[in-house]
Amino acid sequence: MNPSLELRAVRKTFGALVAVDEISLAAEPGTIFGLLGPNGAGKTTTIRMIMDILAPDSGEVRFFGAPRGADLLDRVGYLPEERGLYRRMTVVDHLAFFGELHGMQRRDSRRPIGEWLERVGLAEWGERRVEELSKGMQQKVQLVGTVLHDPDVIVLDEPFSGLDPINQGLFKDLLAEYKARGKTILFSTHVMEQAEKLCDRICLISKGRAVLSGELAAIKSEFGGRTYRVEASGDLERLEGIGGVGSVLRQDGSVRLVLEPDAEPSRVLAEMVGFLEVREFRSAEPELEEIFISAVRDAA
Amino acid sequence: MRPDRVRVVARREYLSRVKTKGFWLATIALPVFVVAVGVLPGLLISKTKISQRIVVVDAVGGLGERLVAELGEMESPLGDSTAGLVATLEAAAADATAQREALDRRVLDGEIDAWIWIDPEGLAANQVEYHAESVSNFLTQGLIERSISRAVRLHRLTAAGHDPAAIDELVRSVGLETVRVSPEGSRAEGAEAGIILAWVLFFLLYMMLVIYGQQVMIGVIEEKTSRIVEVIVSTTRPFELMMGKLCGICLVALTQLGIWLATLVAVTLPGVVSAMAWIPEGVTVPTVPLAVLVHFVLHFLFGFFLFSAIYAAIGSAFNNVQEAQQFASVLVVFLVAPIFLFWTVLNDPDSTVSVVTSLVPLFTPLLMLLRIAVKMPPAWQILLGYALTAAATWATIWVGARVYRIGILMYGKKPTLAELGRWIRYA
Repeated sequence: MNPSLELRAVRKTFGALVAVDEISLAAEPGTIFGLLGPNGAGKTTTIRMIMDILAPDSGEVRFFGAPRGADLLDRVGYLPEERGLYRRMTVVDHLAFFGELHGMQRRDSRRPIGEWLERVGLAEWGERRVEELSKGMQQKVQLVGTVLHDPDVIVLDEPFSGLDPINQGLFKDLLAEYKARGKTILFSTHVMEQAEKLCDRICLISKGRAVLSGELAAIKSEFGGRTYRVEASGDLERLEGIGGVGSVLRQDGSVRLVLEPDAEPSRVLAEMVGFLEVREFRSAEPELEEIFISAVRDAA
Repeated sequence: MRPDRVRVVARREYLSRVKTKGFWLATIALPVFVVAVGVLPGLLISKTKISQRIVVVDAVGGLGERLVAELGEMESPLGDSTAGLVATLEAAAADATAQREALDRRVLDGEIDAWIWIDPEGLAANQVEYHAESVSNFLTQGLIERSISRAVRLHRLTAAGHDPAAIDELVRSVGLETVRVSPEGSRAEGAEAGIILAWVLFFLLYMMLVIYGQQVMIGVIEEKTSRIVEVIVSTTRPFELMMGKLCGICLVALTQLGIWLATLVAVTLPGVVSAMAWIPEGVTVPTVPLAVLVHFVLHFLFGFFLFSAIYAAIGSAFNNVQEAQQFASVLVVFLVAPIFLFWTVLNDPDSTVSVVTSLVPLFTPLLMLLRIAVKMPPAWQILLGYALTAAATWATIWVGARVYRIGILMYGKKPTLAELGRWIRYA
């Protein structure tokens, strides 16, 4: 099966700055794909190239197994990180306009708009102006605008930033529903916990480069053998100096270590005992955050 | 470019503007404003009565009687009533200073409104004194001045041994009957009427270009600051968005223009004109020839796209209206410059200056239209004007679209001119 969305060695520079450096990824139907990385890593630039808002210097963006064209973009729903609405339009008019921008006829959009407003609890607000709505309600309108034309691919840039808890739940339900319907979802976030709960596949970006990508479960099991939980007292700062230690993360009185791929756990422990009083040293389930930190180290 | 997307954007732009109260208020306000500014003051002044109690003191002798008589039969050119003007002659007293003080007191007490003092020294210098509490009643003073001049003239002619009545006949002034010659036939038309028509069309076009250009700019900034633009450009090319915006706002302007023209046509129907008693007799209301109207609309269209493409680019490049206004004022210079050439072109529409400036693309919409309104220029000049403006419009849309494409997604600091130049050069 062709991936619904594919990036092939996409690169973008702004002057001397390489914002995105030959990133490749592929998202299959029925999956949630997470584009992860800290702020400034190049996530938004990558998404803007996916949406044809920025032109890549080189590389290619493909939808449904074909080079991207304007008609294919109509089958994509996009929610940018910075989102806004026309304040003086009514909710229904605004949604109809979003539909038209994706090639929907006005008369065809009336029914789905009604159904969506019912679903998100804004049925009474259809004829009100956007400016009369609360911020949370406006977020719902933006979400409905993104999916109104029933897109096959949904691209969301930091969808959870600034959302109230109710809308976060609404978004998550929606993503699960679309995934179940065989649609493709790609979203970016800098909050690793969210990605951990939602994603099937991830691509970790740092300074414009993909440092790690693949299925989340596989990545976790690969890193599983390398993550250890340490309970010790003494000069914990020196842990980072031990050869073979990838990342050190302190957490509620204990320390989590991710070792480099070829490091020997017993050698690390032996060295540690030299300057620390170690009470416990055992294998642990890796967290995405740690994986990310050590992946960045590995890449450097 | 996908025309359906342009249409979708234009439709939204049009409806969201035409549906506002502001649009209808502005549409109604302009004709009301024109009537208020152009007609009402004249109406009010001409309906005021000239009522003054004037005392004339003649220290020369023989002149006072004449002046009182002249003031009595004075006629206002505006047809106002002069019935309230009462002039009385008082003899000059031996003590002029005391008499003048007494007269001043009478003015302050409200017994009389003004006094006129004629003495030999003043007369030799062609001066007569007028004393009143208010000296800003220029209409009344103008009438009194004319009466005095006549009285003095008659007085001097009589003194020189001429027959005043015969002289009066000989020096009667001559009026200019203005007849406008056009291919449709000649017809009498007041010179004022022709100037008013040219003036109205010229300023209407100027105003619409400035106001709607600014609306484009403000609309673009709104889209940018509300951050809605990124959702739109994900399905619509920036060029389609810009063209949709220009087309939508252009249609709003044409709608407004249509309403005004329909009103104008209704008002100038012969039945309506005769009903408007306030139009002074002898002034023909100029009718706007259809050809001029067509050229007006065409020049508006070219001018609108010519300037609004730049307004859109400016709006896209800046982050708020204040920043953009500063830059837009550079653009307004090109719109204001034709105003300085207004009288030059009006006075001699075929002079080299008029022809050349009316063919400069940024000036063509206003100046060529002015020439057309005054006297139809040769067809080749009109066509050349259109061709050059079309080329310039294409250029501003091309440049504007390139700046716009980058600008609408660029937040943060104000771009420098050099940066704007780079945006244009980006592929």
